[in-house]
Amino acid sequence: MSAEELVFWVFAPISVGSAIAMLLQRNAVHAALFLVVNFFTISVFYLVLGASFLFAVQIIVYAGAIMVLFLFVIMLLGVDREESLLERLRGQRVLGVALGVGIALELIVAIRAGVGFATHAPANFDEVANRGGNAVAISAVLFRRYFFPFEVTSILLIVAAIAVVVLASRQGSIAASTPEDRAADAEAA
Amino acid sequence: MSTPISYFLVVSAMLFSIGTIGVLVRKNALIIFMSVELQLNAVNLSLVAFSRMHNELDGQVLAFFSMVVAAAEVVVGLAIIVTVYRRRRSASVDDLTVLRG
Amino acid sequence: MLDLIWLVPALPLAGAAVNLLLGRRLGKAAGRLATALVALAFAVSVGALLDLLAHGSEERVHVTRLFDWISAGSFSVDVAFLVDPLSITMALVVTGVGALIHLYAIGYMDNDPRIGTFFAYLNLFVFFMLVLVLADNYLLLFVGWEGVGLCSYLLIGFWYERPTAASAATKAFVTTRIGDAGMLLGIVLIFVHVGSLDFGVVFDEAAGELTQGAATAISLLLLAGAIGKSAQLPLHVWLPDAMEGPTPVSALIHAATMVTAGVYLVIRSHVLFEVSGTALTVVLVIGLISALYAALASIGQFDIKRALAYSTMSQIGFMFFAAGMGFYTGAMLLLVCHAFYKALLFLTAGNVLHGLHDETDMRRMGGLRADMPVSTVWFAIGALSLAGIPPLAGFFAKDHIVGFASTSGRDLAWILATIGAFLSALYIARPLFLTFFGRRRNEERAHEAPGPMQAPLAALALLTVVGGLVLGVTPETGRLAVFLEPVVGAVEHGEGALRDGALIAISVVVAVAAVIVAYWIWASERVNWQAFPERQPELAGWLANAFYLNALYAWLVQFPGKGLGRALRVVDERVIDGAVNGVADEVEDASHLAPAIQRGFVRTYALAFLLGAVALLLFLGLRIV
Repeated sequence: MSAEELVFWVFAPISVGSAIAMLLQRNAVHAALFLVVNFFTISVFYLVLGASFLFAVQIIVYAGAIMVLFLFVIMLLGVDREESLLERLRGQRVLGVALGVGIALELIVAIRAGVGFATHAPANFDEVANRGGNAVAISAVLFRRYFFPFEVTSILLIVAAIAVVVLASRQGSIAASTPEDRAADAEAA
Repeated sequence: MSTPISYFLVVSAMLFSIGTIGVLVRKNALIIFMSVELQLNAVNLSLVAFSRMHNELDGQVLAFFSMVVAAAEVVVGLAIIVTVYRRRRSASVDDLTVLRG
Repeated sequence: MLDLIWLVPALPLAGAAVNLLLGRRLGKAAGRLATALVALAFAVSVGALLDLLAHGSEERVHVTRLFDWISAGSFSVDVAFLVDPLSITMALVVTGVGALIHLYAIGYMDNDPRIGTFFAYLNLFVFFMLVLVLADNYLLLFVGWEGVGLCSYLLIGFWYERPTAASAATKAFVTTRIGDAGMLLGIVLIFVHVGSLDFGVVFDEAAGELTQGAATAISLLLLAGAIGKSAQLPLHVWLPDAMEGPTPVSALIHAATMVTAGVYLVIRSHVLFEVSGTALTVVLVIGLISALYAALASIGQFDIKRALAYSTMSQIGFMFFAAGMGFYTGAMLLLVCHAFYKALLFLTAGNVLHGLHDETDMRRMGGLRADMPVSTVWFAIGALSLAGIPPLAGFFAKDHIVGFASTSGRDLAWILATIGAFLSALYIARPLFLTFFGRRRNEERAHEAPGPMQAPLAALALLTVVGGLVLGVTPETGRLAVFLEPVVGAVEHGEGALRDGALIAISVVVAVAAVIVAYWIWASERVNWQAFPERQPELAGWLANAFYLNALYAWLVQFPGKGLGRALRVVDERVIDGAVNGVADEVEDASHLAPAIQRGFVRTYALAFLLGAVALLLFLGLRIV
């Protein structure tokens, strides 16, 4: 078994396992932490697949920024208290799991039909795609062919930031519109 | 690379379905959101795997943009959740039934 | 004139139409118009008779086709009128006696607000009756048959505000309907076996083509209709109740004409009955039993009109009896004479009602001879004629029939018929003596009917006196018998156990004896007949209630009727309502499921998305694989 195979077979179970564990946690903070583990494993996969830049970005952005944001909100709102186990919608759990399994199976069938279980990746990835290293190669593609989408996403980020600021500041200046809101405001005040 | 690409794709599929189940089964809005992030990651993984298969970097660039957009989306989504929580004092999705018919 | 025979039914039809549309405005003139039209129809009939007589006796059959009525493949029926001795006799009786009764009714119904409608119905009845007797095929006869049934219903229930009248009308209609159903089946069978409904064709074919079984079936089915219409056992129950109608109606429809339609049908179809043989015997038996039953029932009635109704039933029983013996001319003679004297009796009873302000109970009459001498004479003439006192018409008619029973060898029948004759005289003398003789039991002074109402009675009385002498002195050579011979065959003089002279003597003695007994019981004050119901309550009850047949029928109909009603109610409530309400409930339940889709739960929506996605993927996946 080569090193790649070993890495894969170690981290694949961890990945799936942490995902399932995240699903089963009643405490939101625990779930977030398991998701972080999952993100780490995915970044390892990126590395194995020859995407070293994404490996780094995944850890920095996803695990480092997004999940931290999640944890901020969780703890800010104090929703880490346990979620009730009672399921009010009949059949939701059964159907949800069944359909989820169904999706998985269908995707696997599609994979087998489209790609085939035995297809290997070409071995010359580092020479053809990753010339000069992954970061250099990505920048070459990113700033040339995908320059316009790059600029657009930067605008997107700015818009998102403005939106958040607006959303967060409106709360205080507008009167609460429903009785529950008025009660909530009275309680908050 | 000695592992077949399809293995990564299978992992991606499993992660995606786990995320789907999470969206449907959990009631906490934040955990549902996290499941959506899981789904996005699974898709990113498959993008990168395909990129490796085709010997091109386009898939990786796509995955990169996906992460950027996901970040923006997380920001806005969390802001919404915070706003809703402030009004309703509950983070359970089941309490948001205003759009009932 | 023979080709104008269609005028005879058309004139009263026109009268009916005019009176229905304009009756309210015409008032009394409606009555005069109606009477005039019927009298005119009578005149045309006389003209047709004269034309007919101008032919030789074998050629007296004339068919006037008006138009094709039904033509459907092998089934074709025309509207055509047949003039032969039998039909013209009936037509003359209907229009002649009918005109006299119309005339009487002008005075009788004088104060009635709906007099126009009354005469419209009366004319309509005459129209249908003429269609019945002049039809040349069974289907047209049936049209007339049903039509007279309708008019009978309308006229019995003329004073419809009275619940007894309304229910009597319905009872008449329903009871005769039962017979009519059988008759219709008989007509269908005729067509099935013969292929045509024309009298000429049917009677020519019958002798050769019809099997005895088929003829019996057909005859018995036709007889069912005749029994219903002529109020014989067992479908007689409507006739006494039909007396709820105005007295002219009782006279015209329920004495002189409609109830004789059954006799006419049997005589017209005699070929079929003769092929069968059995059917003819049935006619005889039913006639005889009905005659005896009705005679006994009449003796028990206190209502004068009901007594006369049962008397009619009994007399028609004699007509059936005669026809059943094959003595058709005898039946016809009785039919014609009975029309005269029964109309006379009913109209005189109408005088009594008119004079006593609608009192019909004979226990509250008596001694009216002093107040109403003219009416007494009329009633006496009619009663004695029915009783069979010579030389009145009824004597000849009754004597011929009773005598024929003996000369044709039917000795048991002759004995029963003679008993029937005795009872007939008894039951008709009874109202005569109860009403006009004896002690007065009513304080009211009855007033005699006015002149215009007496005129028709005078005419009828005259006919009653001379009718027998004119129409039929002997069974074989009487004018009517000879006239009808081409249609019904000649009468042969048989030889029975008794000689003719003896038979006549017995007849007269029986009649006179019965009248004397009646006088002794009811007019002479020597017998306390009023105490009879208390002394013999059971026997009195049996007689007064006509042997409780009405109660029996009610019981027989009630149980299945109510049972069926209850069962159907269950079906209606549980099954039909259950189905309808059940559907509504199911829809309501289903409608509760619908909002589940839109409860507002985001996760339900997400589930729906996923369901769609999975299905889509499945579809695409299956295509790849």
